[in-house]
Amino acid sequence: MAAVAASAGWLLRLRAAGADGPWRRLCGAGLPRGFLQSASAYGAAAQRRQVAHFTFQPDPEPVEYGQTQKMNLFQAVTSALDNSLAKDPTAVIFGEDVAFGGVFRCTVGLRDKYGKDRVFNTPLCEQGIVGFGIGIAVTGATAIAEIQFADYIFPAFDQIVNEAAKYRYRSGDLFNCGSLTIRSPWGCVGHGALYHSQSPEAFFAHCPGIKVVVPRSPFQAKGLLLSCIEDKNPCIFFEPKILYRAAVEQVPVEPYNIPLSQAEVIREGSDVTLVAWGTQVHVIREVAAMAQEKLGVSCEVIDLRTILPWDVDTVCKEECFLNLEAPISRVCGYDTPFPHIFEPFYIPDKWKCYDALRKMINY
Amino acid sequence: MKGQPRSRRGEGRISEGWSAKMAVAAAAARVWRPSRGLGRAGLPLLRLLGARGLARSHTHRWQQQRHFSSLDDKPQFPGASAEFIDKLEFIQPNVISGIPIYRVMDRQGQIINPSEDPHLPQEKVLKFYKSMTLLNTMDRILYESQRQGRISFYMTNYGEEGTHVGSAAALDDTDLVFGQYREAGVLMYRDYPLELFMAQCYGNVSDLGKGRQMPVHYGCRERHFVTISSPLATQIPQAVGAAYAAKRANANRVVICYFGEGAASEGDAHAGFNFAATLECPIIFFCRNNGYAISTPTSEQYRGDGIAARGPGYGILSIRVDGNDVFAVYNATKEARRRAVAENQPFLIEAMTYRIGHHSTSDDSSAYRSVDEVNYWDKQDHPISRLRHHLQSRGWWDDEQEKAWRKQSRKKVMEAFEQAERKLKPNPNLIFSDVYQEMPAQLRKQQESLARHLQTYGEHYPLDHFEK
Repeated sequence: MAAVAASAGWLLRLRAAGADGPWRRLCGAGLPRGFLQSASAYGAAAQRRQVAHFTFQPDPEPVEYGQTQKMNLFQAVTSALDNSLAKDPTAVIFGEDVAFGGVFRCTVGLRDKYGKDRVFNTPLCEQGIVGFGIGIAVTGATAIAEIQFADYIFPAFDQIVNEAAKYRYRSGDLFNCGSLTIRSPWGCVGHGALYHSQSPEAFFAHCPGIKVVVPRSPFQAKGLLLSCIEDKNPCIFFEPKILYRAAVEQVPVEPYNIPLSQAEVIREGSDVTLVAWGTQVHVIREVAAMAQEKLGVSCEVIDLRTILPWDVDTVCKEECFLNLEAPISRVCGYDTPFPHIFEPFYIPDKWKCYDALRKMINY
Repeated sequence: MKGQPRSRRGEGRISEGWSAKMAVAAAAARVWRPSRGLGRAGLPLLRLLGARGLARSHTHRWQQQRHFSSLDDKPQFPGASAEFIDKLEFIQPNVISGIPIYRVMDRQGQIINPSEDPHLPQEKVLKFYKSMTLLNTMDRILYESQRQGRISFYMTNYGEEGTHVGSAAALDDTDLVFGQYREAGVLMYRDYPLELFMAQCYGNVSDLGKGRQMPVHYGCRERHFVTISSPLATQIPQAVGAAYAAKRANANRVVICYFGEGAASEGDAHAGFNFAATLECPIIFFCRNNGYAISTPTSEQYRGDGIAARGPGYGILSIRVDGNDVFAVYNATKEARRRAVAENQPFLIEAMTYRIGHHSTSDDSSAYRSVDEVNYWDKQDHPISRLRHHLQSRGWWDDEQEKAWRKQSRKKVMEAFEQAERKLKPNPNLIFSDVYQEMPAQLRKQQESLARHLQTYGEHYPLDHFEK
């Protein structure tokens, strides 16, 4: 998938550039003349592909965990997996295409380093991947299962909800699959459409027995993923794929943990609370800055981090219904499947968030 | 041989050991090249990736896997190892004469082929008999107790006792068992006490499952029997994962996974078979083909030759056995176990049997099958009678012992039953624990809110039956 995307991306960059040299070479490779026209041939209607709807804001370099290295999000994931396999001899990683490094390169180098019995491909079957992972965890070994896209987690829904989540409870704690972690690329990416853009955490948010976690950055991803792997309950870790390359910051080389079920207040404020997770945290960060600048409104920005069990106390200090001065506003995608070409209109970008905030202030 | 997990087949996969770079190079090459070889378009891309070293090792790895030669008229496809044929012919699925059914005893309990007699000691065979009959007695009493409203639900094992006991006896005590719901005889053979069977059905304070599940959802960590869950076939890929972990741990353990012919239609069954074969797991898939999935007969469950015929499709060694012949079940399971552990590969055993009882206490099977049909199996081909005839013909059992054992086993069951009835149910606080390993704050709040609620409204709740 990533390889095809890379070549397609290269193709489109060529078109936009209108370069002649490589152009001739392509025609020589047997493609019909005129198949690829330069952007100017279509006139003003020609579009470039959209730039991202957010700007990734790295956090300051962490000092308390030792030496750091510049990593993007997929490298931070690799680092967490590397640390886990080094520490825990029972840990194994499996899923579709993980052996060669994974379609998003999260498992690059791990098979060579730890062996083919520890990092291996499975057949193409999500219900099998999760069921198999549960079984490994039942014996007490650490299972790290990859679902190639969160959009494809649904065949495994029964195994997650009816089995993994309930294993400890239904057996009276005779058995459990706490050493299972499921990780999956998640969220919009600009061109993913219905089946490479989904954020299905809501389906799992009311399933007691599992934990659901979404990081906003490489540093957060490594610490949260390590916590998920070490947590004694089955966890689902969704990785915002649009941040795999776009998010770069200093990340500790050694293992460290970021606690689960703890939201983080990343900007203090007094007028409005903005809550998000994953990629959207960067959108609302920008909205908070816009609100301050244009409306003089002070926003508190909270990254929820763990969707389930979620940190109720940080988000509302008590049951806060009577303390609100305006109804809570949800800014999210529309109640339609995720469309392809319409993505810029579909996503809850900063303008929509800003507008909701503005209406809230004027309530 | 046992120390190192062995691979059944060679490496052979082209993607073996490739780095991401080379994978991208190859993928790009496939997109661009018009013919064999990389083509002109591929070269700039390779140059970008530092081609020289890459190209050399790239060719070398391809040559390692297959010897491609345009002079050779043999198929080169990676997906199948087969010869060409120039005659158009569809393979006929052989449903008229299916996979034969292995048996050791005839319907009267006589050994047919003496070389297949497992020559088990008297003590062991008596244990088979007593496990099967004790299970049968417990089933009768607990079925009745549901009819009388004492427990909410029950499932009997009538007619399938041979499949449970024959297979359980062939395993090591520490082999992990994943069941579906009609394998209580496996636990019985492993000496799970009557008290605990009853405790789970009654959901009383002695239930190891803490009263959370419907009756017959047994589990026992000590006896390596994973707790039963209601969704069908979910245990199949789980059992495969457990077997993989056992292989990695060099545990010399096999995992056995039981399921019915109905559950074998689930996607999870297909997933489990395929994973077990590709990942080379020491697992025995044991299918109880008892003719019905609730009311659905096998003619509506599948159109091929049962479950055993599916095994070879996955690359799994398979056998069909007479499930009502406890020695046949024993022999097949014993051999499968030996080889699964030694060779790290899965085995599929399809045990043909008949579900004499209703599906459960919620079912009345006279709605979909004749009394005559049921009676045939009960009277003419029952695992317990066949073994009894065998024991009697050996002089290891007689009518007096039968009478005494019936009385004794009934007494044991009744005692356990009465005790189970008298015990309290567990404390309602157990609603809130074990959801996670630790109790989250929200749940603690909910637990406290229930306690407060009961303080005011307790009279409307059956608190007298529950532990304080």
